Amino acid sequence: MPKLALQFLLLWIGLAMTGSSYATSVKPQQVLDLHYGEVLFHFYQEDYFTAISQLMVARQQNLLQHHLNESDLLLGGLQLSYGMPDQAERRFDRLLDQNTDADLRNRIWYYLTKISFQRGHYRSALGKLQKIDKPDDKSIGTELAVLNANLHMALGENEVAADVLENTRAPDGWEEYLRINRGIAMLRAGNIEEGRKTLDKLGKEDADNEELRALRDRANLGLGYELLRAGDAQQAREYLNRVRLQGPFKQAALLGAGWADAEQGDYKQALTPWLALLELASYEAPVQEAHLAVPYAFAQLGDSKRAIFFYEQAIGYFDEEQQQLDAAIQGTQSGVLLSLLSQTDTGIAGGWLHDAPTLEGVPSGRYLVDVLSSHSFQEPLKDYRDLGYLQQLLNQWLENIHLYYDMVDARRLAYQQRAPLIRERLAKQQATALYQRWQDYQSLTVAQHGSGDPLDLATGKEKQQWRTLRKVQATLASLPPEPRRTNLLAKARWLQGILYWQIQSNYKTRLWDVEKQLQALEGPVTEAVSKHQQVSDALDNVKVGFDGYDRRIAAMRQRILALLPRIQASRDDASDQLQQLALKELETRRQRLASYRIQARYALARSYDLIAQQSGEQP
Amino acid sequence: MKALFRGILAGLLVWPWLVLADQEAAVESGVNEEVQTLKQQVLELNRDLFMLEEELLFPSNTQVSVFVSMDVGEFFQLDSVQVKLDGKEVADYLYTQRELDALIRGGVQRIHMGNLRTGEHELVAFFTGKGPRGRDYKRGATTRIQKGLGPKYVELKIVDQTKNFQPEFDIKEW
Repeated sequence: MPKLALQFLLLWIGLAMTGSSYATSVKPQQVLDLHYGEVLFHFYQEDYFTAISQLMVARQQNLLQHHLNESDLLLGGLQLSYGMPDQAERRFDRLLDQNTDADLRNRIWYYLTKISFQRGHYRSALGKLQKIDKPDDKSIGTELAVLNANLHMALGENEVAADVLENTRAPDGWEEYLRINRGIAMLRAGNIEEGRKTLDKLGKEDADNEELRALRDRANLGLGYELLRAGDAQQAREYLNRVRLQGPFKQAALLGAGWADAEQGDYKQALTPWLALLELASYEAPVQEAHLAVPYAFAQLGDSKRAIFFYEQAIGYFDEEQQQLDAAIQGTQSGVLLSLLSQTDTGIAGGWLHDAPTLEGVPSGRYLVDVLSSHSFQEPLKDYRDLGYLQQLLNQWLENIHLYYDMVDARRLAYQQRAPLIRERLAKQQATALYQRWQDYQSLTVAQHGSGDPLDLATGKEKQQWRTLRKVQATLASLPPEPRRTNLLAKARWLQGILYWQIQSNYKTRLWDVEKQLQALEGPVTEAVSKHQQVSDALDNVKVGFDGYDRRIAAMRQRILALLPRIQASRDDASDQLQQLALKELETRRQRLASYRIQARYALARSYDLIAQQSGEQP
Repeated sequence: MKALFRGILAGLLVWPWLVLADQEAAVESGVNEEVQTLKQQVLELNRDLFMLEEELLFPSNTQVSVFVSMDVGEFFQLDSVQVKLDGKEVADYLYTQRELDALIRGGVQRIHMGNLRTGEHELVAFFTGKGPRGRDYKRGATTRIQKGLGPKYVELKIVDQTKNFQPEFDIKEW
């Protein structure tokens, strides 16, 4: 039964935590930064530790430009889900101080309301809730209404809570939850008739899934017990009859059904559900109580022999259960609980425990698992598991950290091998020489605008031809003056003139072309010089970088080593706390069993007296 | 004798309502300041270690990351995604229902992180899944990606083609 209570509890908490539609914007989200989407991927899987880690890295690397404000809010929500309400509250307060838009402010107030609610500051939470604007979205409106109603119920203002839920329009999937809470609020407010009507209607409805069927059972069971308390046993029996015998509330329903019959004086009828409970061979409270109820019914029917038989059976059962409980208490005192707790380390990032651990190698484990699954253990158990994950994570980092040293060493070695060759090449100053040549050409073109000597812009081939013609002329000039020499000289001069005319005639085009090419080269040449400088700087800085890595790795190693003992100490505290809670819970159960046993023995003695009396009266 | 059973009954009557009454108290208990501080410090250290590891293993000049996202109707059920870079398989991932739900809600999964030299590279991706009436789907896409100096991010988005309502890859370089 405690486990069922836990499941129901988690359902309600879950509705109001960050997984709710109000915590994030309505899905699906349009992701504009891939890394924000990556955070959401983990967040939606309730892997809060990884989501926070990814978010912190992405923020540090400035990778969330489009989701900066949302990421701040999301981080606060994740912190809250991960069990860091103090940090979350500080973040939300800071966000409120900024000029945030209405939507963001509403969501911040929602989170702050939740934090106050969790801390039990209900009045303050209500004040914060009232600062949230009425949302357009129906499901968000419902979520806020449920939160509002829960706060009023926590304050004992059940009538207000019922009104809030009455006036809330429920979207698909919410209607049944709203109604059961409305029914409960009405009953608590003393509005028995209305509460009964609400729960009665819910309890009669068809349910097409297990969750709704369990909810329907719950409504019928609650109503049945409420009517038993009010003295309307006949009506109570009707509601209890509706509870499924294959559902999670079977035992409580059978016990209640027997009591409804007994209240009406029909002890024979009451025996049917109670004897069915005895056959369950369970250790849960309804079965324990049925062990007393069955002989009581026989006694009321005047069947003292059967009453004695079942009282003796009950005493035997209580003795056996008490032994189991004693073993569980002893086991808890001697550290068995810790062994059980180690089975709750699942290797994922901590969080709530969704599945009960197995019972391998744990004597009397059923009581311990039962205790662990109960309500008050969940928060310290979550702390214990979260701390276990942190411990495991840091130990993994510690194991890997020497690999980072190796990697830095490998890079250092590569640097030592390659750096001299690179330095040698840098020393040739090729980039600077290239830049110098570019500058020379640049000066030449500027000078062309002043002097305008077309030969400066001649191509290599033209220059070669020019020089050949000049050489030919010089050679001819040194020959004896013959008519043939004169003709050749004239021809050479004519060719030189033609060549000059060719160069000169498209001089402006050539000048423009050269200027264009020089302009195009300016970028690459400047970049080459810049790269040269970068490589040179990098060569100087890399060595400093290696030392920087060494220092960073050493500092992180120190941080790991400093945190591990603190985590261990906190984990020890958490396990101590769990142990104390377990012992207290087991002791309570032991006392309850002892009390049942005393009552059974007392009743047994009375039954024997009765038989003796009856025997004495007979002649 | 009857008083005993009255007592039992009274105790039982209370329990159905208890789950609502005490939920808020339990949430707060156990959250102590030291645990919160430890969580914060480990998270900060984890961030720093993660960034160090990334710098050492995947320097930004060679870093390449492949992400998977979904924008499809509810009738497509993704089973797996396979990614090859320059002919070498770098990821072959089978999805759980929880991961699928996260993708459908807008989450983005980093399916691969590795190193590539600057220049052009071939990326081939396949996905398998089930469409309406349980029909098996396998679709692939090939693209050439240009790796520059900074980190390279590639998104493989599974989208519905409106013309035939069949899911396809939409590859985007970031």
